[in-house]
Amino acid sequence: MTSKRKAAKKGTKRTSKKAAKKSPKKAAKKAVTRTAAKSGKRPQRRTARAALAVATSPRKSAAQRVAAMAEAPLAVCEADENLQKMLDVLRNADEPIKVRLAALQSLQAASFSVIAFEACRGDYIAALRQVATDPDPELRQRVLGLLAREKDGFAQRKLLEGLRKPEKALVPPEKALQLLSYDIHADAYAAAREIVGEPPNPAAKQEALRLLAADATAAPMFEKVLLDKGELRENRQIAAAALQALRPEKLQERAREILLDAGEYPEIQATSLTALTQFGDESALEQDQPLIERVGRLKGEGGTKVKQSARQFLNRYVR
Amino acid sequence: MDVEVQVNNSPSPAARFVTWAPSPCRVRVTNPTGATTPTVSLQLKGASAASGGAVLFRSGSTGPFATSLTLQVPINGTSVPFFVAGKFGQPSASDGDVKIEVRRATTLVGSVPVMVRIRKNANKLTSAERDRLVSAFARLNNQGAGRFTDFRDMHTSVSSPQAHGAPGFLPWHRAYLLDLERELQAIDPSVALPYWRFDQAAPNLFTRDFFGVSNQLGTVQFSPSNPLQFWRTDGVQGISRRPFFSTSAAPPGLRSEAQTIALGTLYSAFRALEGNPHGTAHTSFGGFISSIPTAARDPLFFLLHCNVDRLWAKWQRQLGRFDPAQAASYHGSGSNPVGHNLPETMWPWNGITGGSRPPTAPGGAMAASVAAVAPGPRPRVRDSLDYQGAVSAAGRLGFDYDDVPFT
Repeated sequence: MTSKRKAAKKGTKRTSKKAAKKSPKKAAKKAVTRTAAKSGKRPQRRTARAALAVATSPRKSAAQRVAAMAEAPLAVCEADENLQKMLDVLRNADEPIKVRLAALQSLQAASFSVIAFEACRGDYIAALRQVATDPDPELRQRVLGLLAREKDGFAQRKLLEGLRKPEKALVPPEKALQLLSYDIHADAYAAAREIVGEPPNPAAKQEALRLLAADATAAPMFEKVLLDKGELRENRQIAAAALQALRPEKLQERAREILLDAGEYPEIQATSLTALTQFGDESALEQDQPLIERVGRLKGEGGTKVKQSARQFLNRYVR
Repeated sequence: MDVEVQVNNSPSPAARFVTWAPSPCRVRVTNPTGATTPTVSLQLKGASAASGGAVLFRSGSTGPFATSLTLQVPINGTSVPFFVAGKFGQPSASDGDVKIEVRRATTLVGSVPVMVRIRKNANKLTSAERDRLVSAFARLNNQGAGRFTDFRDMHTSVSSPQAHGAPGFLPWHRAYLLDLERELQAIDPSVALPYWRFDQAAPNLFTRDFFGVSNQLGTVQFSPSNPLQFWRTDGVQGISRRPFFSTSAAPPGLRSEAQTIALGTLYSAFRALEGNPHGTAHTSFGGFISSIPTAARDPLFFLLHCNVDRLWAKWQRQLGRFDPAQAASYHGSGSNPVGHNLPETMWPWNGITGGSRPPTAPGGAMAASVAAVAPGPRPRVRDSLDYQGAVSAAGRLGFDYDDVPFT
């Protein structure tokens, strides 16, 4: 048991004893509540403990253990022994992978009870780091995701290393980029730019673009991607959203051009209309007769999504 | 003759929203032309559009509701009070789709459009309701530069002890949802926060036109007409959400609604829902929603919590657990952490920082509403319990669920 955990447990015990000494009335009230709670609280606690016993027992079937894991989160932080049992299941590569994944989900659900979980957090993060290099790709991916969301330096270094040296990669480049994007301070822009220039696959390029959407200096690149009719629709959609955030006035200008261009793809026109409807400069758009007329025509002749977006645009700007 | 009807005792059109709980209203004669007696007999009745909401009336704060109400109203302009409530099972689909009509004999002398604004199952929203919701969310977020940032900053690792792992979990999140909902309504008053009923399949929610479809990687994709394609939080574009279940079914391993409500008759037992289904619903996904520090970056978070809140509301209704003075309604142990005791104000709305509270208090006071005066700018834990005003009418928070009646 960690010293932090011991202290937390000790503190709780001392407080309740102290309270009972100080206020016998309160203590009696607590006892009444405990008795009254018999039908509710106590069986629930027993159930969670019993579930944990099944979940961590190698004698039970994998299916039984997975089912029990869903009921186990409440018991995880009740005792250090419980936490360690669950962490053992997570770390043990000989355990069925389904059970290990369920243990991870159960531990993560327990982490939502922040106050109770606080004392477990150190051991939990240490175990996650250990499992981040596990042979199972699904487990590795999930664990790296959890660590990345905690902005964990260890995970970020591993992910960046994998982008630079593919032979050391723990996850595919597109996944590494997605996880690195959780923390815009991660030093990943250079790697992302390289991937945009020479993508190993379309998904990696999309994730690299998404990551670079946080980089204020990337606006000209997004403008280029948005206007490139040879780019994938998804990439142009990402570019539109990035440009709207980085240089909104530029996106408004380009969106207008896209709408007036009869040879433009309908999906990109719909995205442009959506940007103008939701975030456009109301006073300028209300006065823009050529654009309003064009959108009026799109409402009549465009595809379903364009028609829908055109209708919303006209509802907002034509009174 | 002309009469004026004030809904929620306000002349403002922004107050013309009702729920299943009774709203205080008043009617007065503004132009007595044609009246020959000191008072006139006026009949109030609801007129619903096709598929519109329906309203019921009663004259006092107690007693049965009826489809119409006749009142004797002085012609000197003095107001006469009455109460309006939505007819359970018949919520509105759009703003003003039901009218309160006032007739003197057969002559229409006044009319006011209202909406029975109710939180509904997200899987069953009309396409218009869906579009209004995603538009309001997108504009509140405004690509990470809008008011939504405060809501994102309220739910972090640092602030987590204010809201999790102790009895205040449910009251805090109820206030959090209400604050967000009122901000959405400031953008579009017809929006009510829907709930993701996670123990049932919700295929209509996980579509490109609504809350998106996750690709293999867990990056959520939207249709080009969906404004959520511009979603951005913490400077990062898009939403990461990787379901570990088929979105045409419910996530496995979750307690059902019946199992959750059967957790116990005391709040201390019921709040075990924080683990399962709440925690289990969060961890049915990878991505933002599966970790406390990032969960509120995904707008689905608010629909998940709306369902958790609905489960509490349903449990409260079934067992009559609205009164903070009743021990069974809350776990008011003296050893609760700060912010989890009934008389205490809740962070961040109370603005208290430092010590046992987080170092900053994003977002300021609770958003006000002309349709419901409670809970005030600095809600206490106790203010979250009586959300329908069942114990004290003044405590009504101004929201209701489509499957949780007032009585």
